Amino acid sequence: MKFDSRLILSFCIAAIMSVAIASHADETCNSPYMSGLIKGQEDFVHVWTLGVPGMGDGSDKLVTIDANPASKTYGEVIHKISVGGRGEAHHMGFTDDRKYIWAGGLDDSKIYVFDVGTSPSHPKLVKTIDNLPAKSGFIGPHTFYALPGRMLIGNLSNAADKGGVTGMAVYNNKGDFIARYDMPASVIKQVKGDGYGYDIAVNPAKNALLTSSFAGWNNYMRDLGELMKDSEAMKHFGNTMVMWNLKTMEPEQVLAVPGAPLEIRWALAAGQDWAITATALTSQLWLVSRDAQGAWQAKDVAAIGDPAKIPLPVDISISADAKGLWVNTFMDGTTRYFDLTDPEHPRQTYSKHTGSQVNMVSQSWDGRRVYVTSSLLSKWDKQGKDNEQFLRAFHWDGHELTPAFEIDFTKEQLGRPHHMKFTANPPRVASLTGASVR
Amino acid sequence: MHRIGALAGFVAGVLSLSGLAGVAGAATDPGKATAPRMEFVAPPPGSYKLQKIQRVTDAILLDSSGRSVRLSALTHRKITLLTFFYTYCADPLGCPFAHTTLAGLRDRVRGDHTLAERVRFVSVSLDPTHDTPGVIAGYSKEFAVEPKFDWRFVTARRVPDLLPVLDDFGQDVSVEMDENGHATRTLHHMLKMFLIDARGEVREIYTLSYLQPQVMFNDIKTLALETG
Repeated sequence: MKFDSRLILSFCIAAIMSVAIASHADETCNSPYMSGLIKGQEDFVHVWTLGVPGMGDGSDKLVTIDANPASKTYGEVIHKISVGGRGEAHHMGFTDDRKYIWAGGLDDSKIYVFDVGTSPSHPKLVKTIDNLPAKSGFIGPHTFYALPGRMLIGNLSNAADKGGVTGMAVYNNKGDFIARYDMPASVIKQVKGDGYGYDIAVNPAKNALLTSSFAGWNNYMRDLGELMKDSEAMKHFGNTMVMWNLKTMEPEQVLAVPGAPLEIRWALAAGQDWAITATALTSQLWLVSRDAQGAWQAKDVAAIGDPAKIPLPVDISISADAKGLWVNTFMDGTTRYFDLTDPEHPRQTYSKHTGSQVNMVSQSWDGRRVYVTSSLLSKWDKQGKDNEQFLRAFHWDGHELTPAFEIDFTKEQLGRPHHMKFTANPPRVASLTGASVR
Repeated sequence: MHRIGALAGFVAGVLSLSGLAGVAGAATDPGKATAPRMEFVAPPPGSYKLQKIQRVTDAILLDSSGRSVRLSALTHRKITLLTFFYTYCADPLGCPFAHTTLAGLRDRVRGDHTLAERVRFVSVSLDPTHDTPGVIAGYSKEFAVEPKFDWRFVTARRVPDLLPVLDDFGQDVSVEMDENGHATRTLHHMLKMFLIDARGEVREIYTLSYLQPQVMFNDIKTLALETG
């Protein structure tokens, strides 16, 4: 049978009004140098959710929530897809074209690839990657950071002793392993690396890749109460950040940042020259910037709450103009806003108790909406009545967080909600490539 | 991953998605792209290794004379920079920007006697319906130089011939529609450029933020140094 290509294309264009591309990121926090940011109202929030034994199917799952106030199902769970197991669902990241989400399990080291571009209201699981330990020697895939045609994965641990020494792995977008890179454990520019890993953040204009450090499987899969009483185990947390040459993938400088530096956000606007992070154990904001000689330096620039009380800052979300930063502190359940107009001197200008325990915080590109989830890790979440599990959405008018909607993940029998990503319905386009899936 | 390559699947897939029409869309505004910035000194050629990202799957395309040509013939035996375009693209930071960047690189490569005969560029049309061999032949004249540089402009005989190529390179393409459901003259695709070694393996991929000519030139030289 022969087909005329012009006829086919014309037919397809005429047949449909809306199809194709467009999935988008946690707008201000992930690969913002790539395309397709949502500058207005997001339609959906996807939540990578830890399974809980005896709750629903007990499986880790991707939960999709309608976030568009104009929709009839606004504020409701409209879709969920279980992965058929419980592997400590934690973080996720978009591919370069934002059509797919890669989501990882910190315990089983599996990576799930969801198609969120074809129909963002109904993501589909299209691939499971289970060879990370065998191919790289690393376990605990944490950060998924898109490079062109590839996914750079920051890991937390290693398969040999399950400690904190780890590295990064690279896969192509088809899911094939490409390369691995050890976190440095040697002295580089007067500071000794600890070999630990956590977050990844790229600044392509500077050929800069910045990484942070946390802890290995032995710590993050252990009961938090027990862990904190074990002084030896408490020594095994990261105390460094590393500046890499992105092109060569060589570590160029180790920075001393004591207390487990976690999420990293670059100020990516032209003329900006810095990144910021928060240390979990020492509760400080740290600025990474160049000194007068052009060398990178890290310095603590502000306390988050009362560090003596270990409020445990666990996530940050920078505004699109890099003038403000949301910080969630897990222990006191507080969402804080810091004025970053002078990044050398951040000032907390607002705080609100948003739950008995709060973890991830994500804001929309326009900064008008802020989303908060509750779960940190299955073994670290609070017990009893303080073990609230929710996604709470807020409006932000620059002065006050006002509740928009809330999903009770326990009542809905979903599990422990962790990382969030935004998507939007596709624009009015016709598909040229049809149902091709990578 | 799952792929639907058959034409029947393509058509069925399109039709199955037509039910999305009329869904209330978000107030999305992709905004204007920004030109890439480069605020660093590019690592010297040969001081680093480029990753082996993927092998290029073969396909049959059409050259600007209307002759069938194997994609493998355009991605082997020379270092290749391959990109996708369409001749009527009007996005200043889309195809025109890619080809302007390539034209600058072409001149640098031609000026390096160690590279001039070892590098080719390939531009693959995203719209075989419009970009016939005759159309791309006319378009390519803008980039012709003397002495000649190996820059091939190719298209496909029909859309289904192109789909596996787009799929292999991870190029998701769609046609923008107007409010009445009619196709506009805008194709949505993510600008990507692929650096392929002489053995047909993709070694680097450049999206807009990474279209930094000095880095790209050094990458080409790095591949050239691999084989001496």
